[in-house]
Amino acid sequence: MWRRSASFILDNRLLQGDTVTKPESRLLSPPSSMAETLPNPNPDPTLTISPYYQTRAAHHGVVTSDWLAQAQAAAGGDTDTRSSEQESSLKSAASEHSFPVIDEFNNWRKQPDLAEAVAAIKALASVIRSSEATTMMELQNELKTASDSLKSWDMTSISLTAGCDLFMRYVTRTSAVEYEDFDSAKSRFLERAEKFGEISFKARKIIAMLSQDFIFDGCTILVHGFSRVVLEILKTAAENKKHFRVLCTEGRPDRTGLRFSNELAKLDVPVKLLIDSAVAYSMDEIDMVFVGADGVVESGGIINMMGTYQIALVAKTMDKPVYVAAESYKFARLYPLNQKDMVPALKPIDFGVPIPSKVEVETSARDYTPPQYLTLLFTDLGVLTPSVVSDELIQLYL
Amino acid sequence: MLDTNALVHDFLNKLKRRKIEGSKATAKLTAELLRSVISQQRLPNTNQAGALIDAIKAIGEQLVAANPVELAVGNIVRRVLHIIREEDLSLTTSAIGGLSLSAISDDENDVEKDDYPVLSAAAVAAAARNALRAPSLQTLLEGVPHSAAVLHSNSSADDSEEKTKSTDKNSRSRKLKHNVIETVNDLIQDIATCHEEIAEQAVEHIHHNEVILTLGSSRTVIEFLCAAKEKKRSFRVFVAEGAPRYEGHILANELISRGLQTTVITDSAVFAMISRVNMVIVGAHAVMANGGVIAPVGLSMVALAAQRHAVPFVVLAGIHKLCPLYPHKPDVLLNELKSPSDLLDFGEFSDCMDSATGIGFPLHVVNPAFDYVPPQLVTLFITDTGGHNPSYMYRLIADYYSADDLVLQRKPTS
Repeated sequence: MWRRSASFILDNRLLQGDTVTKPESRLLSPPSSMAETLPNPNPDPTLTISPYYQTRAAHHGVVTSDWLAQAQAAAGGDTDTRSSEQESSLKSAASEHSFPVIDEFNNWRKQPDLAEAVAAIKALASVIRSSEATTMMELQNELKTASDSLKSWDMTSISLTAGCDLFMRYVTRTSAVEYEDFDSAKSRFLERAEKFGEISFKARKIIAMLSQDFIFDGCTILVHGFSRVVLEILKTAAENKKHFRVLCTEGRPDRTGLRFSNELAKLDVPVKLLIDSAVAYSMDEIDMVFVGADGVVESGGIINMMGTYQIALVAKTMDKPVYVAAESYKFARLYPLNQKDMVPALKPIDFGVPIPSKVEVETSARDYTPPQYLTLLFTDLGVLTPSVVSDELIQLYL
Repeated sequence: MLDTNALVHDFLNKLKRRKIEGSKATAKLTAELLRSVISQQRLPNTNQAGALIDAIKAIGEQLVAANPVELAVGNIVRRVLHIIREEDLSLTTSAIGGLSLSAISDDENDVEKDDYPVLSAAAVAAAARNALRAPSLQTLLEGVPHSAAVLHSNSSADDSEEKTKSTDKNSRSRKLKHNVIETVNDLIQDIATCHEEIAEQAVEHIHHNEVILTLGSSRTVIEFLCAAKEKKRSFRVFVAEGAPRYEGHILANELISRGLQTTVITDSAVFAMISRVNMVIVGAHAVMANGGVIAPVGLSMVALAAQRHAVPFVVLAGIHKLCPLYPHKPDVLLNELKSPSDLLDFGEFSDCMDSATGIGFPLHVVNPAFDYVPPQLVTLFITDTGGHNPSYMYRLIADYYSADDLVLQRKPTS
């Protein structure tokens, strides 16, 4: 290890304390200290795919398309085995320990249109519903335990963490003074949690509306990854009779770009597919880059699908604007100092040919794009410059 | 009603014919017009603020449409709307607070009955405060239906007042109007004195023996430089003449008459001179929400030259120039083509201009008024409230404008 950073030291310390972690699995599994203190719902040590991407893969399965069929054929029915694997792990999780909040969360997130954060908040709402607490403090403690277990269950999902934090913050901030008694406060929490799905849905609509001014007739847009918000934006633009062209990256390894281009073709939007390495080649015909985000971090940068960083770099070099579309509940209290300074989310890569065992494969599924490469963020709070993100987070959490 | 209509109409015509020049003059006139509109406006008994806001919005829409490039008009309309909202809020909260307080002091015995209104009043006040703020993560989950809450608080206050006396209501309506006009007066005052406020900060930025470069002419820049001179700073000023209107000549004249060391250079000499310059100080036409600047033509070039030699690029802008919109395609949408007479005298090249007789294409003359300077080229904004980073502009915007007013023009389709 030649890299020296604060996070590196931290990782090392965690690994030393984590005596169970075998040296060979250190490369692949995220260093988790929480795994020690709480029963791990994923006891399968060979399971190195992050649950976040499992769900995404499962959701992808919902869309039946020729592309996906091809992808499946190429992967040898990989998606099927993966989702069944997930099922089994879920079942084992359900049987082995008593954390209904995780089951609840998994039930919710099986719905393909429901965002991760919404599922988390709905799961926490179920905790409130079944809670027998009689005071605010008790309820808060129960929620804290539940949200901690949720967060540690899948440390790779940023919006899960952000959703839990947001809801916890809401519960702790809402002082009892504003409500007459504990029961009304409780019902108010439940009501807000129920409504959150609606908020998330509305957020996408707001973002789509805000971004319409930026899409002008005759423009060419580069899209990377499958983002529901970006799809909503382009859909709205197409409905508004704007004439634009979209270039989609292929989005290896799970070919999200193919699925995205399929969706756009359905809308009769002219679309062209690129392999991921053709971004710089086509950048000069592009007017703007649109990406979604897994999470927006405190610096104003984003964590998104692998490849976003290099696209942003190329766009910056060629002076093209990079727009990020993300709902505000994806704002997370993270401050990555470099690319490796995150809990790695891993995704298997199919190379088509067997790889010799001596060859290492980079399986990380996402990268961090620093704020200086982003032009504007479209969120349901309005159009923001990256520096606004930290301000919002500080207002909320300090 | 009639004479306000005439006033509005007159102002609209002036805007359309571009008779009013400069963002400061426009801002001042707009504020004065809106003040007279407010004072003439008849208010219904319920939901006065709503009626006032609607009236201002309707006029504001016309004003913005009359000259969409002059962003100061829209800014002032939004400021006035924000003022109305704020004044209404402070009135309602004080009214509710006074009511519940008096209720408690009158009959302390039945506390249980009175407890409820106090709590709800606090909640309503909190909700209303939220309504004024831009949407944020904090309010995401709290999600009180904003306008409904405000309206509700309004009507509840009115109901309770109805019980007391109807004259009270009259006084309250006059109070809202009075407060709003008072604050608009403050705003007009602020616009008038913004030069001085900015100029006061000059000594902090200009030091001995420095070389300052500026382009074109701006009243704010003149005041700024002279303020530094008055404080016994000795420095040199390079003035780029600012073709095609050569306003730099006027500026140079003024500076020389005030005893500053001044050198006039051509616009094309900016890059040659920039390595000797310590700071570039310029005025702006408008400042956008992302910190980008709509500036007199030629400044983009100066900014690029300054960046090449790492010279600080300082923009002076009164707070009325701060626009809550984001620029998309600023070169096209926020620009104006002036008359070609600035470039060519009448009759010059007339043989090339006639497409009928000429052999090839006729000669085109383009005279754009503005440049867009992206935020990364600006080092510092000096406004009447102090120096700010370009990335801080959004914060000022959140202070001065309500999120509801950002869109003034209704979409023709919807």
